[in-house]
Amino acid sequence: MSNITRREFIRIAGGISVGMASGACSHPFVKEKHSCKQSQNLKRLIGTKIDYTKARAVPSICFGCTTHCGVIGWVQDGIVKKIEGNPLDPNSRGKVCAKAQGMISYTYYPERIIYPMRRIGKRGEGKWKRISWNEALDEIAKKMKKLRQEEHPERFVFHYGRDKTKGFTKRFTNAFGTPNRLNRRSICSSNRRAPLMSFYGREFEWETQDFENTKFILNFGANPMEAYQGGFFMMQRIQQARVDKGAKMITFEVRPSATASVSDKYFPVFPGTDGAIALAMINVIIDNNLHDKKFWDRWANYPLNDLKKQIASFTPEFAEKESGVPAEEIIDIAIEFAKASPECCTMSNRGSAKHYNGVQADRAIRLLDVLVGNVGRPGGFCLSTLRMWKKRYGQDGLPNIVQPGPSPSSVKPFQPGTEQFNELPVEVQERVKNFPPEWQNKYFGELATPSEYPLSWHWYPMRVGQLVYPYIKEGRAKVEMYMSYTLGASYGYPEAKVAREVLLDEKLIPFHVAIDIGYSEQASLADIILPEATSLERWDAHSTNCYGLVPYTGIRQPMVKPLGEAKPVQIILRDLASKIGGGMESFFNFNDVEEFYREWYKELPISWKEFKKRGIWYDPNRPKDYELYERPVSNDDLKGSFVNKENNIIYKMKKGKKVAVGIMQDGKPVCGFPTPSRKIQVYDEVFPLAAKHVGLPKSDENGSPLCTYFKIPSHVNIQHDELIFTTFKWNVHTQGRTGHLKYQAEIVHANPVFINPETAKRFGLKNSDMIELTVHRPKGHTYRAGEKEPVGKFRNTVRLLNGMHPKVVAVSHHVGHWEHGSVGRSNVNLSHESKSGTEPHLKIFDDKDIPERIWWSKSQGGPGGGVHINDFLPIDPAPLVGGQNWFDNVCSIEKI
Amino acid sequence: MISVTSIPWENIGKVRSEPKKRAGIIVDLRLCVGCHSCSLACKTEHNIPLRCFRTRVRYLERGDKLTLKFFPLICMHCQDSPCLKACPCNAILRLEDKTVIIDKNRCGSEKACVKACPYGAIYIDPATDKADKCDLCANRTALGMEPACVNVCPVNALKYCDLEDPDDPVVIYARKHDAKAFKEEAGTNPSVFYIGLEKWMEKKVENGIQLSSKEDEIIYVQK
Repeated sequence: MSNITRREFIRIAGGISVGMASGACSHPFVKEKHSCKQSQNLKRLIGTKIDYTKARAVPSICFGCTTHCGVIGWVQDGIVKKIEGNPLDPNSRGKVCAKAQGMISYTYYPERIIYPMRRIGKRGEGKWKRISWNEALDEIAKKMKKLRQEEHPERFVFHYGRDKTKGFTKRFTNAFGTPNRLNRRSICSSNRRAPLMSFYGREFEWETQDFENTKFILNFGANPMEAYQGGFFMMQRIQQARVDKGAKMITFEVRPSATASVSDKYFPVFPGTDGAIALAMINVIIDNNLHDKKFWDRWANYPLNDLKKQIASFTPEFAEKESGVPAEEIIDIAIEFAKASPECCTMSNRGSAKHYNGVQADRAIRLLDVLVGNVGRPGGFCLSTLRMWKKRYGQDGLPNIVQPGPSPSSVKPFQPGTEQFNELPVEVQERVKNFPPEWQNKYFGELATPSEYPLSWHWYPMRVGQLVYPYIKEGRAKVEMYMSYTLGASYGYPEAKVAREVLLDEKLIPFHVAIDIGYSEQASLADIILPEATSLERWDAHSTNCYGLVPYTGIRQPMVKPLGEAKPVQIILRDLASKIGGGMESFFNFNDVEEFYREWYKELPISWKEFKKRGIWYDPNRPKDYELYERPVSNDDLKGSFVNKENNIIYKMKKGKKVAVGIMQDGKPVCGFPTPSRKIQVYDEVFPLAAKHVGLPKSDENGSPLCTYFKIPSHVNIQHDELIFTTFKWNVHTQGRTGHLKYQAEIVHANPVFINPETAKRFGLKNSDMIELTVHRPKGHTYRAGEKEPVGKFRNTVRLLNGMHPKVVAVSHHVGHWEHGSVGRSNVNLSHESKSGTEPHLKIFDDKDIPERIWWSKSQGGPGGGVHINDFLPIDPAPLVGGQNWFDNVCSIEKI
Repeated sequence: MISVTSIPWENIGKVRSEPKKRAGIIVDLRLCVGCHSCSLACKTEHNIPLRCFRTRVRYLERGDKLTLKFFPLICMHCQDSPCLKACPCNAILRLEDKTVIIDKNRCGSEKACVKACPYGAIYIDPATDKADKCDLCANRTALGMEPACVNVCPVNALKYCDLEDPDDPVVIYARKHDAKAFKEEAGTNPSVFYIGLEKWMEKKVENGIQLSSKEDEIIYVQK
C-alpha cells in the first residue's frame, strides 16, 4: 500500500480518461465543412474530463425550470463541462439542483435539432428535409406578410410553453399586430395567482415568505422540496429554519411528497378540502381572540365581525368531516400558528389551488396571514418585487432596467363594429357587449381573452391555454399560422390528444411552425422546425422575487456558441421581422444580441463588463423588503396629488388618468398596497361581477366576494369504489421537457400508480399488479361537464405506498414520451438508424450511453419508459379564472 | 453600490487549501430532501456511465410516520478498507488525505473489490472494464475546491471536513449531533458519518449504492 499525492493521482487518472469514439462525419445532412468540423470536435471532446485549471467560468442564469437560479458554467475547449451555482446569487446562494446540472445533457443531446427542417411527408408523418434559414424564414415571412395585407394579423397565433425573454416575444407579436401571444399560465398557476392579485395587487402575484426567520410554516399542499417556482430558494431556507433554528412545518397533502416527508407533521387530506381547513382555522383564531386586530382594522378592506358572521358555519368539526383532519388537530395548529405571529406564514400552490374550488381555497389560506398580521413582517408572509424594474410599486431607488426602444404600440382591442368582432360567435358578441367598459378595452378575442373566463385576463392576460385547441376546433377563432415556441401541448396539456387532433388538421391549422430545441411531440406536428439555442447558448435579462427579500437582477449569457445552426429566439424573431418588413423591422434594429442587452442594462450602477463577470447585481445596502405598505409616499408622487375624503386614497393624475399612489393612515400618507382600495382586498366585488357576466349560477360559490368553501361538484356523491386521480412532479424533472435527459431519466423513467396499501387490499392489488384506470368527465360549470362517456382509460402498474390518502391514486406525468429521441422514448432503436434521412435527428455526436446503456428500456430487460397519462386528464378550467383543475379527477380502477 | 463579495471562481487553481489529514464527509440526514443534486453533480463531474453509480440517493418508507426518509450513499473511504485488501493487483491506493482510490492502470478487472465492498460502492466501467468508484473528487480538492456533491447540496446536508482536525467546525458539529458510521459492525473504519442515522434505515439500504440485479425501481426501497 502506498500513499500517493492527489496531484499524482490526477495525472494517473487523466491518462486514461475515456473520450468519445471519433469517426467520420457520416450523416447525409451534415454537408457543410464547418458543421462537420464542429461535429468532429464534439465527438472528440464531449465526455472528456474537466480540468478546472484550464476551464473558464461563465456566470449565467439557469433555465432548467421556472425558478431561474444563478449558475456558473465551466467551459473548456468550447464545451460546457460542468454547471455549478453562482455564490453571488442572493436567491439560490451558490447552490444548484439536479435539473440545472442536467442542462448539459440538454445541450449535448446527440439527437437535438440543430438545423431548420421542413416536412416532406404528410404532417405528423415524421419525414423531414434540412433547409436553410433563408428558405425557412422566407416561406414563413411570405405567409405572415399576407396576413398583414389582408388586415388579419390576429390569425397569426404565437403560443409559447416557456418564454423568459422578459417581453421580447411580445415586442414581436405587438409589432406584427396580433394579440394572440398565448401561454400555459392556466395549466400552471393562474388559480393561485388570481387570489394573490385580488388580495395584494397586480405586482404581487407571487409571495415571498421570509423563511429564513420564520418559526412556523403552515403548508397547504405545496411541494417546494420537489417542484415549485422558487421552490429551490424556499427549500434551503425552510430546512435551515427547521433544523438549525427549530422552526416547525405542518403539511396537508394527499401523498407523502418530499415536503410532507420533512414536515414535523403530515396530514393526508381529501383532495380539494384545504379551504375548509383554512376557514375552520380562521374561526378558531377569531374565537380565541388570537388575531391581530390592529393590523386587520388598518389594512383589511372588510369588517372582521361581518367576516366572522359569514364564515361561522365552517367549524373545525365541519372541516374534519370534509378533509379527514381531526378537529382538535385543526384547533391546536391554528392556535400554534397564530401564537407564532409574526414569525409564521402559510404556503400553498397547486395542491390547494388547482381545483374547481381552488381560487376560493387559496383566498381562505391567504386570509390566515392577514388575520394574524404577519404580512410583510420579519419571519412572516412577505411580498417582494417580482418584475423587471421600472419604478413600479416597491421598486423605488432601483435603476430602471427596461427593454430598449423603440417599442411597438399595443394591439387594439376587438371592439364592436370591427371585422374581428363581427366574426365572433353571436353569444360571445352579446356577452362582450354587456361587459363593463374596462373589460371591453381588454378584450382581444376568444383565444387571448376567453369571454367565459374574464378573471383570466382581468388583472393581466394569464390566458386559458387548455381551451385554445377546443376553441379553434369549435371555430371561435380562425387561425392561418400557428407558431409553437418550446411548447409541449401535444404531450403535456390536458387531453393532449385534442391538441394533436387540431394540429393534424390542415384546415384548422393551415401552417404550423415550431421553434424548439429538441424533437418534441409538438415539433413532430410542425411544417417547419426552427432550432433554438439552449439556455447555455443565449442571452436573457432576469429578475424574480428574492427570498432574501433583496431585489436583484441577473444576466443569462451564452457560455458557448449555439450548436450547428441553432439560434437564440431573439435572432430568429429579428430576422423574421426584417423579412416581413412593413416597418416591423424598425423595432428589431440591433446587430447582435449582446448589444441589445447592454442597452437594456444601461442604468445598472456597475459596468457591463463587471456585470458579465459576476452575473448578478443587487444593492447590498438596500433595506430588506419588509412592510413596503407602511413606507411613506415619495415626494415625487405627493406633488400634485389629492385625497379622496371617503376612502382616504391618495390619487394623482398621470398621463390624463387618475392613479392611486397611496393611502392616508392616521393622517400620514403611506404607500399601502397596489390594489384599488390600497388595502388588502379580502373582500373583492370582481368575483360576483365576473360570475354575473358569464352566467354562473348563484349556487356556484366561485362568485363569492368573500373566501368560502364548497364541495367540488365532481366529488359530491363520490362512490365507495371511486378514487381521485392526481398527478405530481418529480424533483429531477421539469414538466415534459426533461424526460430525454439521460441522467435524470435514469433516476425517474417510470410512473407507477401510487396507492395506499389498504386501498390496494380492497381492490385485491399487490405491488406491480397491472390495473386499468378509467377517468370520468368532471361536473360543474366546465368543459364537456357531466358527459357519460369517460375521458379515457389507460393501463399501468401499481406501487403500494404508505402515507397515500386512501381515496387517492397519484401518477407522475413527466414520462411516456413517443418523441424526444431514444432516451425520451426509452428506446434503444435509434430512429435515424431505421429511417435515415427522414427524421430530423442528426446524430450530431456519439454518446456511448445512448442508446446501448439505457438499461431501463424494455429491450434491455428494464421496465420501460412509463405511461403517457396526459391524454386522460380532462380539459377542466376552473370557473372565472380558468386554471386547470388537475387534481379533481374521479376515476375507477380495475385489476387486469 | 457594488457588492464587496469577491468572485470566488477567479481564485480556483491559484489558491490551494492545505491537504486534509483525513478527508471525510458528514451527511446530515435531518436536512436531506432527496433532491438528487449530488447524484447529478457526480455524474456530470466524472461522466459516469448509465447503470453505474458513485453516489445514489435512496428513498426509504418509514414504517411509523407515513412518510419517506432520504438517504444519500457514497463511498465510505474506509481506513480499514475491504476493497483494498481484496484487490489482487494492488490497484487500490490511499491518497495522502486518506481517501481510497482505484488506479485504473493497475486494475486487472478481477472484480474482487466489487464483492468485498459492504456498501456496493464499486462498479465496473463498461467502457474500460475496469473497477471504478468515488475518489472524493481528487481533481477538485487538489485545487482547493469542495467535492462536487458537497458543493451543490442545496440544504448543506453534505459537509466536507478533516476528521483528524479537532477544530474543524464540521467535526465539532458532527460530534455534537452524534454522527454515526453506516454499518458499523462491518468494522471498516469509514470516513463518512451520518447524523440522524437509525438502525431501520441501515436494513433498508443493505444492498448499497449500485442497482441490485432485480431492482426495477431505482428510488424507492421495497419493504
